[in-house]
Amino acid sequence: MELLDRYLHAIKFWLPRDQQDDIVAELADDIRSQIADEEERLGRKLNDAELAAILKQRGRPVLVANRYLPQRSLIGPMWFPTYLFILKIVVPCYVVPWLLVWIGLKIFHPFYHSDLGALAGGLWGTFWSATFMAVGVVTLIFAILERVQAQTDFLGDWDPRKLPAVRDPNRIPRLNSILELAANVVFIVWWINGLWSQTLFDRAGVRIVLAPVWKTFFWIFLLTASANIILSAASLFYPYWTRLRAGIRLAIDSIGMIAFCWLARSHILAEINVPNLSAARAAEITNAINVNMAKSLPLVVIACAIIASLDVFRLVRASTGRARLVPGLALIVVLIALAAGAGAQATAATPATGFALASSPEIRELLVDHVDVQHRNAGTVLGIRTG
Amino acid sequence: MPQSTKNETFDVFENLRLELRRGSLILAVLAALRSEQYGYTLRKILADHGMAIDEGTLYPLLRRLETQGLLKSQWREEDKRNKRFYRLSPEGKLILKQLWTEWQGIDSSLNEILKERTYGTS
Repeated sequence: MELLDRYLHAIKFWLPRDQQDDIVAELADDIRSQIADEEERLGRKLNDAELAAILKQRGRPVLVANRYLPQRSLIGPMWFPTYLFILKIVVPCYVVPWLLVWIGLKIFHPFYHSDLGALAGGLWGTFWSATFMAVGVVTLIFAILERVQAQTDFLGDWDPRKLPAVRDPNRIPRLNSILELAANVVFIVWWINGLWSQTLFDRAGVRIVLAPVWKTFFWIFLLTASANIILSAASLFYPYWTRLRAGIRLAIDSIGMIAFCWLARSHILAEINVPNLSAARAAEITNAINVNMAKSLPLVVIACAIIASLDVFRLVRASTGRARLVPGLALIVVLIALAAGAGAQATAATPATGFALASSPEIRELLVDHVDVQHRNAGTVLGIRTG
Repeated sequence: MPQSTKNETFDVFENLRLELRRGSLILAVLAALRSEQYGYTLRKILADHGMAIDEGTLYPLLRRLETQGLLKSQWREEDKRNKRFYRLSPEGKLILKQLWTEWQGIDSSLNEILKERTYGTS
């Protein structure tokens, strides 16, 4: 009976201390009764294999012991659907942006820069730590809610009258249409009055002139705003997103966004004249503004990607009747990632701006000329203006 | 009918059958314990009456019913072995009576519903 003793001992291990002996004694008697019946039927003692078969049929010790324990769960059936729903939102909304920022820093920021191998290794570790952190915190919160619910039954206290109203996700609130219409009308009036001319400002000796390409942008933005007015007006009469209408909105936004990105890197500022400002200094300021606009391109592209994602999400919902939250979020994240990459590449490919960082030998040569030859004071040399 | 569909149908039936029997097992155990039994004989009695129950379900159920005050138990030596004998407590007898009435009500309601359905389809 050594096998039986081992089986009972294994069951005993998993049982509550105060019930161990009682349960095991009863179980032992039940198994011995079954063995006695079998032996009587066969007319001989059971061998080890037959005894093992009886024990195997009764089940693994931990499972047998579990049946004597009260049913417990970290997150019970009442909270589990909500728990899953929150996880599906938290993981893409926390982990993915976290990873994108991390990747962005590693690739673009010189302080964090690392090679591809180290990046891949670090990415794997970062992904898991971020995921475990997000899942762990959510699980902990729901485990606490489960315990609190068990003690207070706060979910039982609810009022059906406080349930949210059923809303059609494809319906466009009239207030939105009115606000959009008004905003676009105001924009067009301001746009035509203030930005028609290439000379943006010319008063009291201060003159700001835009590049000739400005005319193209002027018309593009005027046309997109006009199209938005027509769309908003149509929404006032038939306030629903249809496939056609969502498609038109995506097309209008896409044209506007492409134009905006183009504007950011097109060195739109041609000239600044201010009294008491030297021509060289004015050119420097003009250049700096253009360069900073070009540098902001990745941020502009990310903002555009978010708008485009929402438009695509709306188009899918209007076309299919429904759009799932998680794939929608995933689409936004993917588009943002692509946009960030494209924006960064475009920034890197921005043509020479007239400024370049000086190399050490160049700086040394400059200082020698400046201090030793010209006998002038030296500040800090940051770069060489070539334009 | 394809084999996989047959198996799925069988699994669904098996699950529903077990679910249906699970609730009635308590009634069967209480009824069988109107006379004193120990676990192994109780299991055999139930099996002989077509209500087979595995030991992993029976013993935790007996402990639960005892904790609820419906059963009384006593360790006693029989055939040179210590056995735990169970019998209904006075509260258990009362509950059995109420459950029996409830069972008859369910049985008669179900029969009515099933009959109506039969008439409706014929």
